[in-house]
Amino acid sequence: MSTALEQIEQEIAKLSNKAVKKNTGTIRAVADGVAKLDGLSDVMYNEMVQFPGGAIGIALNLEEDEVGCVVLGDISKLKEGDEVTTTGRLLSVPVGKALLGRTVDALGSPIDGKGPIDSKETFPVEKIAPGIIVRKSVTQPLFTGIMAIDSMIPIGRGQRELIIGDRGTGKTAIAIDTIINQAKINKVGLASGDKTFRPVYSIYVAVGQKQSNIVRTMSALEAAGALEFTIIVAAAAADNPANQYLAPYSGAAMGEWFMENGMDALIVYDDLSKHAVAYRQISLILKRPSGREAYPGDVFYLHSRLLERAARLDGKGSLTALPIIETLAGDVSAYIPTNVISITDGQIFLETDLFNQGIRPAVSVGLSVSRVGSAAQIKATKQVGGKLKGELAQFRELAAFAQFGSDLDAKTKAQLDRGGRIVELFKQPAFSPLPIELQVAVLFAMQKGFFDNVDLKRVVDAANSLKSYMTTRKDALLTEIRTKAALDKDLEAKLQAACDEWKPTLAA
Amino acid sequence: MASKAKTAQHLARALFRASLVGGALSEERVGGVIAYIEKARPANPLWVLRAYHRLVANEVAKGVAVVEHAGAVGEATLASIAGAMAKKYSRPVRAVPRDEPSLVAGIRVRIGDDVYESSIAGQLEALSGAA
Repeated sequence: MSTALEQIEQEIAKLSNKAVKKNTGTIRAVADGVAKLDGLSDVMYNEMVQFPGGAIGIALNLEEDEVGCVVLGDISKLKEGDEVTTTGRLLSVPVGKALLGRTVDALGSPIDGKGPIDSKETFPVEKIAPGIIVRKSVTQPLFTGIMAIDSMIPIGRGQRELIIGDRGTGKTAIAIDTIINQAKINKVGLASGDKTFRPVYSIYVAVGQKQSNIVRTMSALEAAGALEFTIIVAAAAADNPANQYLAPYSGAAMGEWFMENGMDALIVYDDLSKHAVAYRQISLILKRPSGREAYPGDVFYLHSRLLERAARLDGKGSLTALPIIETLAGDVSAYIPTNVISITDGQIFLETDLFNQGIRPAVSVGLSVSRVGSAAQIKATKQVGGKLKGELAQFRELAAFAQFGSDLDAKTKAQLDRGGRIVELFKQPAFSPLPIELQVAVLFAMQKGFFDNVDLKRVVDAANSLKSYMTTRKDALLTEIRTKAALDKDLEAKLQAACDEWKPTLAA
Repeated sequence: MASKAKTAQHLARALFRASLVGGALSEERVGGVIAYIEKARPANPLWVLRAYHRLVANEVAKGVAVVEHAGAVGEATLASIAGAMAKKYSRPVRAVPRDEPSLVAGIRVRIGDDVYESSIAGQLEALSGAA
């Protein structure tokens, strides 16, 4: 027996003394976050390489006798001739619920000063998107809490819905509202003890933004109590382009963990225009051939492989993506916007003119669309808001004639009047998402003509009054709408009665 | 500037390919390449020569196993390392010893851009990286 043991011990000793093979290279040049390396003949595409001083890099250009690599971390200590080694690993980031409530960088390291993150698992940053067999159609709604969106451009779990518009039109506000709304729904759902309830966790990826904006977003989420359900991945404008390029993929990996583990997640990429710019910068420094607007040839693939990772998986969870694109002077036909429009399942287009007219959120109903359509809407919303988009479209068409009001026939005047009221009704301040049951109640009141004799300028006040009335006095009715998710005759009668009760209070 | 460097690189690669006979570097061909550069004077000859030098140096390094060691290494050990490397890389390999006290104990073999680490210093580094 002792001989057998000796044999095993010798084998262990042999193995532990075995030489470790490393593939190495040397730095030939470092500039602007990109290193050119000699050697590294065994390196794989997208493999992580180790630089001296703890910095890591990702091999992006594999040439005959040279490797182009983006450096993540401090490049100031790197110099020509330094040795670089391959790691045999793809870049991975920590994933899991331990990241909720935290702000991390593109590598998943905490940057919020709240101490280390106790994460047990890691996921690769780059991953092939789920195939067609494992996917399921998008049928479950994801409520944004914004009435104009939930009623006319519904978003489903697993969908990719683009938020597009000029600077300062409220794109980020819509995304933040959606995150806050998920947190509100999560709190209600988890408190109800309903075992079938599926919370939605959020990931907000800030790419190329000002640090002050990121802090503002963090504060808004914290103030709304949404931070505990949210992970923030920040690659600010001051970060090197490699981090800005990687941040969305890191966020996607974190979201995939929820999806793979049977949970639902929402990811916001704010914004992909800056992401494309960061990638263009890296590509130009790597001397890749440039194409239209100096973007490299694979800029479409850059975004398609990212957004394809959002999905609803059969028997598992979902990952919903809300990418943001900033347009210049409302030009949706520019290179990056058209790319992302064609990749996503619809877009919410925000117009500067509407924003300046005080219509906020400045959603352009004509140009906005959700390709999932009413499949991702609860029946109650379809019942009260099914015709809204058509009515608003007619209103926009007729609005040009509004200035000749006196010459219009009664029907046209009525349509204009109604359209104007709907527009007013959809006005909603930032960071105050509305629960879906309250949206149903307000839209029901509108459909039943309860706002018809309210002065146009007072429609917003009247709607606020109805919301306040329903929340404070008709909580049971709202809960019933939420749980039934459809308006039967009994519920309609109760809603009618509640609105009848409310109307006199408005007159007073 | 960038295109000049690229052109020089392309030429250097072509000259390097011309310097190989049956996949191995031929000293005679290298001499011929140098003579060609002197005679033909291509654009930016310094860049071409530097790039060519790098390629040739990399190729030469593939045939030399630098054995870094702390403490004495016998001729027999060097010969066995050279034999093992020649078998692995299917080319003649020459072992060259180099004293490296920072390894503490053990050896490290460098051949081309591969490094075989079997030293205490390497193991300590790996341990510190894992922690």
